[in-house]
Amino acid sequence: MENTATYLGLIPLLPLAGALVTGLLHMLTCRRKPLPELFYGVVGCIGPLLAFFFALVLFFHLKGMPAEERFLSHIPYTWFAVGDLRVDMGFLADPLSSLMLLFVTFIGSLIHIYSIGYMAGDENFGKFFSYLNLFLGSMLILVLGNGPVVMFVGWEGVGLCSYLLISFYSKERENVLAGNKAFIVNRIGDFGFVLGVSLLFWAIGAGGFDYLALQANAGSLTPGVGIAVCLLLFLGACGKSAQIPLYVWLPDAMAGPTPVSALIHAATMVTAGVYMVARFSFLYVQFPVAGSVVAWVGILTALLAAIFGLFQRDIKKILAYSTVSQLGYMFAGVGVAAYSAGIFHVFTHAFFKALLFLGAGAVIYALHHQQDIWKMGGLKEKMPKTYWTMLIGALALAGCPPLSGFFSKDEILFSALAHGHIGIWLVGVVVAALTAYYTFRMIFVVFHGQPRDQHAWEQAKDAPAVMTWPLLILAFGAFFVGFLNLPGLFGGGLRVSHWLAPSLVESHPHVGLGVELLAVFAGVAAFVVGITLAYRKFGKGATEPEYRGFARFAYHKFYVDELYNALFVQPYKAFGGVISRILEPKVTDLPVRLSTWLYRWAGNAFKVLQVGYVRVYALYMVIGLSLMSLILSQSIN
Amino acid sequence: MHDFLTILPLLIIVFGAVVLMLLAAFEKVSLTTAAGISMGFFAAAFAAQLLAGCGPQRLVFEEIFNGMLVAGNFTMVAALVIFACGFFSTTSSHTYFQVNRFDGLEFYSLLLFAAAGMVLLTMAAELITAFIALEVMSLAIYVLVGYDRNRVTATEALLKYLMLGAFAGAFFAMGTALLYGAAGSTHFTAIATVAASEAGSPLLLGGAFLLFVALLFKVAAFPFHAWVIDVYDGAAAPVTGFMATALKAAVFTLFANILAIHGALHQGWVEILFYLAVFTMFAGNLIAIGQNSLKRMLAASGIVHTGYLLVGLVAISADTFTGAVIGYYLAAYAAGTLGIFAALSYLGGEGEKRATFADFRGLARVRPYSAAAITIFLLSMAGIPPTAGFMGKFYIITSAIEAGQIALAVLAVVSSILSMWYYLRLIVAMYFQPAEETFATTGSPWAGVGTIALAVSVFAIGLYPIIV
Repeated sequence: MENTATYLGLIPLLPLAGALVTGLLHMLTCRRKPLPELFYGVVGCIGPLLAFFFALVLFFHLKGMPAEERFLSHIPYTWFAVGDLRVDMGFLADPLSSLMLLFVTFIGSLIHIYSIGYMAGDENFGKFFSYLNLFLGSMLILVLGNGPVVMFVGWEGVGLCSYLLISFYSKERENVLAGNKAFIVNRIGDFGFVLGVSLLFWAIGAGGFDYLALQANAGSLTPGVGIAVCLLLFLGACGKSAQIPLYVWLPDAMAGPTPVSALIHAATMVTAGVYMVARFSFLYVQFPVAGSVVAWVGILTALLAAIFGLFQRDIKKILAYSTVSQLGYMFAGVGVAAYSAGIFHVFTHAFFKALLFLGAGAVIYALHHQQDIWKMGGLKEKMPKTYWTMLIGALALAGCPPLSGFFSKDEILFSALAHGHIGIWLVGVVVAALTAYYTFRMIFVVFHGQPRDQHAWEQAKDAPAVMTWPLLILAFGAFFVGFLNLPGLFGGGLRVSHWLAPSLVESHPHVGLGVELLAVFAGVAAFVVGITLAYRKFGKGATEPEYRGFARFAYHKFYVDELYNALFVQPYKAFGGVISRILEPKVTDLPVRLSTWLYRWAGNAFKVLQVGYVRVYALYMVIGLSLMSLILSQSIN
Repeated sequence: MHDFLTILPLLIIVFGAVVLMLLAAFEKVSLTTAAGISMGFFAAAFAAQLLAGCGPQRLVFEEIFNGMLVAGNFTMVAALVIFACGFFSTTSSHTYFQVNRFDGLEFYSLLLFAAAGMVLLTMAAELITAFIALEVMSLAIYVLVGYDRNRVTATEALLKYLMLGAFAGAFFAMGTALLYGAAGSTHFTAIATVAASEAGSPLLLGGAFLLFVALLFKVAAFPFHAWVIDVYDGAAAPVTGFMATALKAAVFTLFANILAIHGALHQGWVEILFYLAVFTMFAGNLIAIGQNSLKRMLAASGIVHTGYLLVGLVAISADTFTGAVIGYYLAAYAAGTLGIFAALSYLGGEGEKRATFADFRGLARVRPYSAAAITIFLLSMAGIPPTAGFMGKFYIITSAIEAGQIALAVLAVVSSILSMWYYLRLIVAMYFQPAEETFATTGSPWAGVGTIALAVSVFAIGLYPIIV
């Protein structure tokens, strides 16, 4: 059943090679005369573009095979083998990973191209492209890995790159702190992930530790262990994909350059958690309890983040909370065992969210790093290309039929309803209305009404072509990719779901037309309500409101950061302080210091013997000789 | 003919020495040319040795010249190490003489003679040959140590070394006499056979003892180590580097060859070697931490490395002896030590004015590449992975454990930890303290190439595994 395809190894290798080349060249030349930016730009884009090409080749290769045999693998070498654990550095391509590959490399390539324009003039231009390439390579390893261990390599790799890129403007302390926060919060998730994988290995790892073997052996898991594994893995997903309680890092991560926010913190890396849950669908399907936890955490995160999104003033933070919220939808989807719906939302979200971020980037670029929406306004005339493309993105995000976001969101909500999760469905509909509201609040405040900063407004203009073309392409995608998975209600054939079917273990409940129609109408109604409210409040220009009561509470994000700080960070620091101030110097250091003192003393004592007189040295020889003869004489007889 | 082919590398070296001496007599060549010729002969000998070892007739262990010499894989490795030491010492010397102008053409000739004596020593299979080789080597080294005859410390070092060396040489001659008296032969195999049948014969025991004392003196094992600090300090840096590496390699090869001839012979000495190894390691460490001069510190650390090699000698087993562990350690140690002395030759400046830890403060700020190279060499000597020094120590300690010497293995590890003190001290001085001077030097371009080659070989040897 398994076929090999050697070029699989090339897909992650190409961006990694690009990272190495640009990184080394940057290191060697940054002190003196840096290489021209165009050089880095071109070299940095080659890897992603070639990877995209191979992803296409792979897609058509798989497409040419019978549906049930769509597995390609390539194992370049055995990574390590310890006891029972034999881990190959292996790659597995199936419909799920090939779909992920396609949009990751496609959007990745576009964002690389966009960055040539956005990062122009930055002194660390080469470094940026090196990191970006490294990120893409790691993401591809994550997606293509044939087992949890290889996935973990990519998982950590993208985490590292995320950290490096959030702190990219490292001259400001705030950015560095944001990077630290992201990294540390992710470590908590990784802790869960590692524990989950270890537990999985302990339970059923003896029969092989790649996905196919695990899937074959998953039946022998006991419920206790299985649920524990599922929840621990989900903890990892919560870290990477910013879900309650670990979502706090993602809004801060907006400190990085905007292309990074688009690529890593919206379109690709943050969806790794969803991908992972879908990868382990064979586990989650067995334990619906774990799935319900996933779904509820997801939908509550969606609600919470949507509420926060209503009151943000930083354009990137609005989008960041919207990302958290949409990720919540995806988890709700995979949680109710509608894996293909969740992955489909990952797919469409990648397009419209990358588009919105890049559009926001173009606005920020035009206004010289102004991110406060209450300092914008009326940019419609000045930046028409940005406006129209962003409008498409916003409509898609808000779930306007027939744009992509409508279909994927509808699919999730319908699945929740069909599987009998009425509560999740209800919350989901409310979140959909909130989404439409905050998205169009942003659009109206930024692009409509009167300019709030006349000087900046006069200078604003559309970004150069290298930045607008990616916007146009993404807008096209955001508009149309939804049609790929048209449900039967609209005469489509759910082609994405069928494509994904061999990789996933899911059931499609059969429900009546009424339920399907109910879901669609609720979605459309939510969209209409949200956008109408936003129009009435912000459509004709608005001034910055004073927040009071609940709004004030939400504006401060329910004081969750402060709560975490008081509950975890400060006690932890205090504990560390006790150790560093009392335990270490007064208790554990004592023997250490004593031994160094003893060593030094002995050394000084020994130095005395080194007198420098040759006669004394001869005497040492004679004494030594005599002593040795004495010992030897014992052995005669 | 076959016998002569086997010692071809040795002949090349001797020929080179004679050629250089003749050229020196007529003063026909420049110093740079002489250094080039010396490097050429070392390289040719290295290549010849490599071909002899890797050619179709691979030597395992055979007696040549009617049993006067032996040649095997172990002696081949030792010869390769010695030739490489000679080669890199020549490059260091060439750099060193750019600022310290007491050079002469004979210097390189003596270097070749010393190397010839060393290679002959590794191949010696009987006492008279060993004695001659030892003296050929020692005489050349004596002159090299005192080559800068206008400097007091050099002449002092020469005098000390000569007097104590003569003392040790006397032991060797005396031991030879006793052994011949006991066994009726000067061949190691014959002596070993007698030793196996007459265990505990006083004549044999005393003779072997005196012989070993001479060898222990040459490798500076406790309690015959005291000279090494002053002599290494007094000699010119490239000469010190050559002594510390090539000489030790030669003597240890002979030592191991003798001990491995017969299990009974080795068994009789295990206990005393055990104590010597322990004392040598710890005495070396204790001396090293008190030093402020780098050369003195390195001399003391050389004592410690002698201790590790003694651990290796304790652990050898006559039945399965291949010399792999000791040969590997010698090569790994040589790469690190040669590197650090090459750096000292280059950076030491006129009259070796930069000699102490304090003089190298802040080197990393001014000369990052030099500091990085020195760091690599120091880490290798300290035994930090992934360098050759780590692997060498790993093999030594593993072999000790396999030989059942757990206590010795533990003590070797402890000693290795203690040695961090003085190796890291230099790294700290180079990296964490501000620079006080510009470290201006006028070195030859060969020095850079040689240093890079050594730094690479530190990693390359570390990656090249042996099967113990």
